Amino acid sequence: MRYPKECVLKECQEVVIRPLEGKDEPLLRRFFDEIPEENRWYMRYDVADSEVIKKWCEHIDSDTVESIIALCGDQIIGHCSLHVRGFGSTRHVGRFRIIIHPEFRLQRLGTWMTLDLIQLSMDKGLEILRTDLVVGPEDVAIDAVRKLDFVKRAEIKDYAKDSQGNRHNLAIMIKRLHRGWGDF
Amino acid sequence: MMKVCDLPSPEIEWPTPAGKLRIRCGCTPDEIRGYTFDPQFGTYAQFRSLYTKRETLEKIADREGTNVVLALTEADHIIGFGVLDYPEPNERWTRLGPKRMMEVKAIEVCRDWRAAHIAKGILGMLLSHPLLEKMIVYMVGYSWTWDLDGTGKTAQEYRNLLLHLFSSHGFIEMQTNEPNICLKPENLFMARVGKKLSDEIIQEFKWLRFGVNP
Repeated sequence: MRYPKECVLKECQEVVIRPLEGKDEPLLRRFFDEIPEENRWYMRYDVADSEVIKKWCEHIDSDTVESIIALCGDQIIGHCSLHVRGFGSTRHVGRFRIIIHPEFRLQRLGTWMTLDLIQLSMDKGLEILRTDLVVGPEDVAIDAVRKLDFVKRAEIKDYAKDSQGNRHNLAIMIKRLHRGWGDF
Repeated sequence: MMKVCDLPSPEIEWPTPAGKLRIRCGCTPDEIRGYTFDPQFGTYAQFRSLYTKRETLEKIADREGTNVVLALTEADHIIGFGVLDYPEPNERWTRLGPKRMMEVKAIEVCRDWRAAHIAKGILGMLLSHPLLEKMIVYMVGYSWTWDLDGTGKTAQEYRNLLLHLFSSHGFIEMQTNEPNICLKPENLFMARVGKKLSDEIIQEFKWLRFGVNP
C-alpha cells in the first residue's frame, strides 16, 4: 500500500487517505463528536465514549484492526476500519465499517475508502470482505458497495433495532477477492 | 518531437546470467525490420502478448514522438520491448493539452528471459529522454493483460511487482475514476510527474484524474 493517497471528491474537495496515527486522537474525537447520534447508533462501538477512541489510537499496531482516515485539510472527514481474526476458520475474512462526516456524504468518499480497503485486504491475502449493513437506514451504503461488486449473501429479518425500537433487517454484504482469472 | 540523437546514449549493455544483451531506444522501423522477433511473444491459454508480430512494432515506431525500446541478444534477436507513446485521441489524458502526457503502453520480456531484470532496463531507456521532465508519463496496469500463468503470480503479486518496478523510476500510484481502471481493484494507475512541470499543470492533472472541472 502506498499512503498517503490523494482523492478529489465530486465538488472538487481534495482529500488525503492514510492510516490513523496516534497523534490523530483529538481529530478523531472531534470527527465522531460531529457524527449524528442516529448514525452512531448502528456502529459496533460506542464512539461517543472517549475511552474507545483513546484505545484505538493507542493500539494502532494491532494485527487484527487497520484504521484508515480521510482528511480534508486537518479535519478528519471519514474513518474506516478493517477487522481480521488472524486465526482459525475465518482468518481469510475481513470485516469493515465506514463512516463519513455528514458534510461530505454523497461525494464518493465512501467509495474511495472502500476501494482502499479492498486493496488493503488483497495485500493482506484476504479472500472475502464482509460488511453488515442495516436495511433502510444504511441503504446508501448498501447501494454503494453493490456497485463495487459486493453481493447480499444473507438478510436477517428484524435483526437490528433503531433508536426508537423499530426493527430492521440486517444485510450481510460479501465480496470475494480473486487471486487470478478464470480459464473461460 | 523526441529524437534519438538528443539522448545521452541510445543503447546500453545489459548483462544477464544467460548472456549479454543490448537495450536500444528510439528504434526506427528500418532498424526493427533488421531484427528477428522471438516467437514466445505469442498467444497462450491465459495470456496473449501485447504485440505478437514485429511489424506492429515497426508501425508504432513510425509514429511521431514514439519511443520503441528493444532488448536484443547478440544475434539481433528481440527478446523484450517497451513502447512510450502519446495517449489515443479519445482518451481523457489528451485533455491536459497536446504533448503533455505520454503513456508507457507496453513493457514485455519473453518468458525465457524473465527474472533477469530486463524490464527495469527497458523502462529506464523509455524514460531516458530529458524532455520527459516537462511531461507526465503514466502507465495503466490492466490485470487482464498480465501473464499470471507464465509468472506463477497472483494478480496482487503481479500488481506489487509493477508497483516496485515503476516506483524505482519515480512513478507514484495515483487514484483515478477512469472507468476502465476502476473495473477491477487490482488494476493500477501510476504516473511520473516531470520535475520541470508547473504547479498549474500538476493541479490540472489532479482534476483530470477525477474527471472534475472546478
